[in-house]
Amino acid sequence: MKSNLIFFIGLFAALGISWAGIVLGSNAQLGSLAPFYDETDGATYPQWMSGSAAQGQLVYRDLGCYACHTQQVRRPGFGSDQQRGWGDRQSVARDYIYQPAPQLGWSRVGPDLANLADRKPSAPDSEDLLRMLYSGSAGMPPYRFLFVERRLGAGAQPSQAALKLTGSLEPKAGLEIVPTPRAEALVAYLLSLTTSYTYPEAVPFKPAKSEGAAAAPSSTAAPVRATPAPAAPAAAGTTPPAAPATGVSPAPASAKAAAAPTPSPTVTATPGSTGGAK
Amino acid sequence: MSGKPNRDPRLDQAAVSDEGLLDIHERQLGRHPDDGARYRLLPIGILFTLSALILFSGTYLNRYTGHYNASIFDENAKPTAGGPAVAKLDPVAVGRSAYGGTCVTCHQPTGAGMPGIYPPLAGSEWVNGPSSRVIRIVLYGLKGDIHVKGQAFNAAAMPVFGKVTGSAYNWSDEKIAAVLTYVRQEWGNKADPVSADEVAAARNATGDRREMSEAELEQIK
Amino acid sequence: MTTRGEYSPVDGASRWPLLLLLVKGIGWLVVAGILALVASIQLHTPGFMAGCPLLTYGRTVVLAETAFVYGWLGNAGLALALWALGRLAGEPLRAQNWAIGGAIFWNLAVFGALVGVALGDATGFELLGLPRYVQLMMFFSYSAVAVPGLLAWNGRLRRVSFASQWYAAAALFLFPWILSIAHVMLFAAPVHGVLQPIVAGWYAQSAWTLWLAPLALSVAYYVVPKVTGRVLPSYEFAALGFWCLIFIGGLTGGRHLLGGPVPAWIPSVAVVSCALLLFHTFIVILNLRGAFTGEGIAVKFIAFGLAAYAVGAVGDALTSLHGIATYTQFTHFDEAQRQLALYGAASTFLFGGIYYALPRITGKAWFSPGLVRAHLVLSICGILLLVGSLTVASVTQSQGILDSKVSFQEIAHNSRPWLMSATFAQTVLLLGNIALLANFYATACEILKISAPAAFNPPPAVETRAS
Repeated sequence: MKSNLIFFIGLFAALGISWAGIVLGSNAQLGSLAPFYDETDGATYPQWMSGSAAQGQLVYRDLGCYACHTQQVRRPGFGSDQQRGWGDRQSVARDYIYQPAPQLGWSRVGPDLANLADRKPSAPDSEDLLRMLYSGSAGMPPYRFLFVERRLGAGAQPSQAALKLTGSLEPKAGLEIVPTPRAEALVAYLLSLTTSYTYPEAVPFKPAKSEGAAAAPSSTAAPVRATPAPAAPAAAGTTPPAAPATGVSPAPASAKAAAAPTPSPTVTATPGSTGGAK
Repeated sequence: MSGKPNRDPRLDQAAVSDEGLLDIHERQLGRHPDDGARYRLLPIGILFTLSALILFSGTYLNRYTGHYNASIFDENAKPTAGGPAVAKLDPVAVGRSAYGGTCVTCHQPTGAGMPGIYPPLAGSEWVNGPSSRVIRIVLYGLKGDIHVKGQAFNAAAMPVFGKVTGSAYNWSDEKIAAVLTYVRQEWGNKADPVSADEVAAARNATGDRREMSEAELEQIK
Repeated sequence: MTTRGEYSPVDGASRWPLLLLLVKGIGWLVVAGILALVASIQLHTPGFMAGCPLLTYGRTVVLAETAFVYGWLGNAGLALALWALGRLAGEPLRAQNWAIGGAIFWNLAVFGALVGVALGDATGFELLGLPRYVQLMMFFSYSAVAVPGLLAWNGRLRRVSFASQWYAAAALFLFPWILSIAHVMLFAAPVHGVLQPIVAGWYAQSAWTLWLAPLALSVAYYVVPKVTGRVLPSYEFAALGFWCLIFIGGLTGGRHLLGGPVPAWIPSVAVVSCALLLFHTFIVILNLRGAFTGEGIAVKFIAFGLAAYAVGAVGDALTSLHGIATYTQFTHFDEAQRQLALYGAASTFLFGGIYYALPRITGKAWFSPGLVRAHLVLSICGILLLVGSLTVASVTQSQGILDSKVSFQEIAHNSRPWLMSATFAQTVLLLGNIALLANFYATACEILKISAPAAFNPPPAVETRAS
């Protein structure tokens, strides 16, 4: 390392290569990702968050909920995300385009929240969430500071917003527990989290050979367009305009979200797990 | 080597000066690996390790990057042939959601309609009859009376749904075909599904026009 | 140059900025240890301090990480990098006021960052939890501290340089770029959607491979041959190892986005890069393996750090493969790997450097041999226990997560004993660091004037022995 200039140019070039490759490359691919227009529904997906939900995302980040919760569902076969009812499909980039600060998270001390509003078998409602925030659980701290204790007037009834708590959590007589605006914003945010709409790129790819002809039964029930080419505006121009899916038969399932765990976990896991690169 | 062993944890003794450190390493760099015609294995070992890692990397990148496609999120995808495994649309499902979004307000979720106001679809001879007629009902709407199962309905008009003049809905042929397929197999109806081509053919044959009447419909086979 | 004695004019003349950085660094180490202990307790006993919004778990984790990385590793790494560059340049550090000013503002920024995070302004990104308003101050103060180091590199007396200088100069030069790029793309002109985690991942991996690891390696590359007196084996490949790290490091950016909502090529490139970094690790072990047989406290720390670095790199490469990541991703194993790298490798290299450098900077040997040995034993035991406990906890956790019938309450219950053991390990580490802090104060402040000035053995002028 004799020449200083070459040394620093080398350092700068190395940084530039990784930055250009990963950051600029992904920006070129995903930077102008547009919402997907569904003709049948006449709506675009994903949908904008409401104002209080957007505020709730800031509360989520402020309290550091990402330290224990992720918001990214993995593909079938990669863990038990589908079996736990967290989502039918892998989260894709389009799910996050309208979020000012996507909170992907890095740890699952608690469950994944990407599709909380449409979770199977049953999604929580705001009362459940507020109660959970107030009481905590074996793995989750209680967030009592998100609530205020109000004194009720003599003989007055608890207000509509008051939490209905029982047992050891029940407030003393004459008091009620009411969520603060931060708690309500947070709950509004949590209830706005949904990844139930299936975009064209979110569906498992059909393998080139027939090794996995049954590899995508979970894709059949979603309201996805039959012709791939015109319906995939964001597929970086490389989706070949081949014939629409041939060996995939429309499943009898008719609901928007397929509930049954499909055989795809084992099928898609096989090419991955026995590949030599593992 | 240093004179005294470094046993006192309070002070680590240096065994070489900074000048010495730089000297010995500079001399190390100047050496050639085959000094004295001895063959050193280490450069070969290093070359082998690097080559093996590069081979692994190249194979992995070829197999698991989905050809750097922005739409491929599953690393196991092999998009060299075929395309996204987008399923054929299930027309009944699409039709059900379209019905539930629009038609249900008048024809009711049970397809029974409202007596005297909205005709029933369940068991209706129009729904179960030739598809050419029911297609045109949805495409162009209705004006005047219509008789379903012996009852007359004229109090409310059937709106225009197709992509024709005066339509507020402008449904595509596929959507009309889907909703008709759904209706023709629901609530005990048993009729053939309707395809988008049939809807398109009906629209082309009749052209652009306003609402049809029952008499005109009965002319159509 | 140190031709006689080992008390280089560099050390005496550069005393103040180095001491300032070191005292701040060790102080932050203890603070970070306390915060990490609180976070560790909250993991198995969620009700601990849950009533205090400043210390809710989501904020404590970020507080501990920020204090550890920017407070401890940043300060100590900068101090030792400046020291090594100065010594190998052969001249006292120039522009020392820049370093002192930069150090003051860097630590003000770290303090501001901690206050901001406690009040809720953490950014949510890994390793970049700093609130946006302190980031610019960090950029400028770091650049100011880097000035003497880069001047020492540019103005070195010998043209052919040593590996320690490359690593230190790289760390000093690259970090401001990495921080400023991340600041612009995430805060000044934010990118949208999932691009934010991609940029944040690139920042986190670059901060480790292009900033923290080079700071630590520059210390190791300097101390090992100094103490053992032998030329580093296979040193002719050290440049290859260095450039491998620099070029490949940033490409590991997608490492934690496996299976995530990003195009598949990003994590796959990261997997491949983690494998290629094994080559760099291989070269580093080849070069520094003399540490395993060396004597002296500094070399013992570095030997342990080297083993941790190697195990960490192999673990990183293996767990990036999808088959294994199915079991380890999003579990405590990620935390175990982070601790192994940041604490087990980087921190122990810096400990070794501090134990070697401080007597030379102050002119006095360490005050207490007992505290030195205690710190060594407590650090090694603590790290082994911490990484081991978190790994076992992750095994129970992943078993529970993969079985969809197990609720998260049960998972929390099952991993509780291992998380309590991890808390115990954090206590052990904290005690070791308190020992270091006490020893440091006693030494640097000359509290007890009983100990004689350090008796340095004059090393031979030029070492002619080959490897």
